[in-house]
Amino acid sequence: MLLEARNLHIGYGDAPAVWDVSLEVGGGEIVAVIGPNGAGKTTLINAIAGLLRCRRGELRFDGADMTRINAHAYCSHGIALVPEGRRLFAKMSVEENLELGCYLPSARSARAQSLERVYSLFPILRDKRRQPAAELSGGQQQMVAIGRALMAKPRIVLFDEPSLGLAPTVVDAMFEIIARVRADGAAVLLVEQNVLKALGIADRAYVLEQGRIVAEGLPGDLLQQPHIREAYLGV
Amino acid sequence: MPSATLLGQALISGVLAGGLYGLLAMGLSLSWGLLRLVNLSHFALAFLAAYIVYELGTSYHVEPWWSAAMVVPLMFAIGAGQHWLFDRFKVNELASLLITFSFAVILEVAIQLYWTADFRRYETEYATRSIKAGPFYIPVLELVLCIVAGLLAWGTWLWLRRTYVGKALRAAAEDPAIAAAYGVDHKKLAYLLSGIGAAYAGIAGTFIALIATLAPAQIWAYLGVVFAVVIIGRLGNPMGALLAGMLIGASESIAMAVLSPAWAPVVSFSVLIAILLWDPEWL
Repeated sequence: MLLEARNLHIGYGDAPAVWDVSLEVGGGEIVAVIGPNGAGKTTLINAIAGLLRCRRGELRFDGADMTRINAHAYCSHGIALVPEGRRLFAKMSVEENLELGCYLPSARSARAQSLERVYSLFPILRDKRRQPAAELSGGQQQMVAIGRALMAKPRIVLFDEPSLGLAPTVVDAMFEIIARVRADGAAVLLVEQNVLKALGIADRAYVLEQGRIVAEGLPGDLLQQPHIREAYLGV
Repeated sequence: MPSATLLGQALISGVLAGGLYGLLAMGLSLSWGLLRLVNLSHFALAFLAAYIVYELGTSYHVEPWWSAAMVVPLMFAIGAGQHWLFDRFKVNELASLLITFSFAVILEVAIQLYWTADFRRYETEYATRSIKAGPFYIPVLELVLCIVAGLLAWGTWLWLRRTYVGKALRAAAEDPAIAAAYGVDHKKLAYLLSGIGAAYAGIAGTFIALIATLAPAQIWAYLGVVFAVVIIGRLGNPMGALLAGMLIGASESIAMAVLSPAWAPVVSFSVLIAILLWDPEWL
C-alpha cells in the first residue's frame, strides 16, 4: 500500500475530531472519503498532508513513518495537497503560485516541463500567468491549486472538496482532471460532499460520519446500502 | 517665500537625508511584513552598530568601511539570535512590540553604561566633503548612503521576486501552513530574514556613526518617522521603504525651509495621515 493509516485519532484541544480511522490508498488508486459537513473529512486529509498532528495511531507512506516528521517534509515524500477553499497565495502571481509547488529541489529541476504540463492541462492559466491569483475566478483558482500540486511531482494528490463553490459545468471538468491525474500515474485521495460524482470516479470509498468510518467498500456496493441512499442521495 | 535655489537645495538635502530613513525602514519592513514581527530594537541595533564603528574608528583607527565589514555580520548574528528567542517563546505580532521595546531599553542602558550619556562625534574627513552641482551642494556621505540604500533595496526586491527563497518567504507570509505543505521550512527562512534585517541595521548604523552625533537617547529619535516610512512604503516592500523615506525626508526639509525647523516633526505623520486618507491603490 502507498498510504496506510491505522487507528488514527486527530483533533484540536480536548475533543478528537477523528476517531480510530483506518484507511488505505494503493498506488494509482482513486479513493474517496464521503460524509456530511463536519464529519471530520478536512481534519483527516489535513493530517495526512502533515498540516495537523495525529494524537494517536499510525500513518505510513510508502513504508515511512509519517507521524514523527516535520510538516514541511511531507511534500518530499511525494504528498501534495489541493486544500479546501484553494488557499492560493493571493498576492502572488499565478506562475509564482505554481512555482511554489516545485519549491523542493527534486521538483525544481523539472520546473520547465512541469509548468508546460500544467499549462497544457489548463491553457487559460498560461494567459493569466502574470496576474495575481486573487483576480482569477473560482474555477480558475481551483486550476491553479491543482496545478500547484502537480508541480510537486506527487505520488499521491489529496483533493479536499475540489468541487465546492464551483459552477456545475466546471465541476464536471474538475472530475475529468482528477481522472487525468491518476492516468498520469499518481494516486488520488478525494474528500467530497458531492457523493454521486465522487463515487462515480473512485475505485473504493469510505464513509466518514462524526469522526468515524461507518462504511467502506466499492462505490457500487455502497450505493446499494439503504443508509447511504437515504442519507446522501435522498432516496 | 525662500528662493528657488534654497528650495532646490532643501529638496536635495531632504531626499538624501531621507535615504537614511529608508535604510532604517527596510529591515523593519521586512520582518514586519514577512514575519509579522515588529522589531522596535531595530533602532537600538543600528545605534549599537554606530557606537562600535565609532569606537573602532576613534580608539583603533579602523577605517569605517572595514568596521562595517565587521559590524554587519555581527548584527546578522544578533538578529538571528533574537529570532531564536521569538521562536522559542512563540512571540506574536503584538508581543513582539513589547519584547523588542524592552530589548531596545536594555541596549540603550548598555550603551549608556559603556559609552556614557555624553554626545559622541566621530570626526572623519568624509563628513565635510561635498560635490558642487550648479548652484547646489551635494554631501558625499549622504550620496553614498543613498546609492548603497538604493542597491540594497533593489537587490532585496529582486531576491524576494526572483529566487525560490524569496517566493517562499512571501508565500509563507500569506499562508504558512500551505507553504509548509509544499516543503517550505519557514523556521529556517525566518532566521535568515531576521539576520538580514539586523544586518541592514548594521549598515544604517555605520552611516549614522559617520553622519550624526551619537547619544544613547538618540535611539528613539528615528522611531516615529521610520514607522511612518514603513507604513507608507508598504510592509515587506524594500523599494517602497526607500522611496517613502526619500518622500518624508524631502517633505521635512521643504517644511523646514518654507515654514520653520519646528515644523519638521509634524511632517512625517501629516504625510502618513494624508496618504492613508487618500488611500491610493498602491498602498
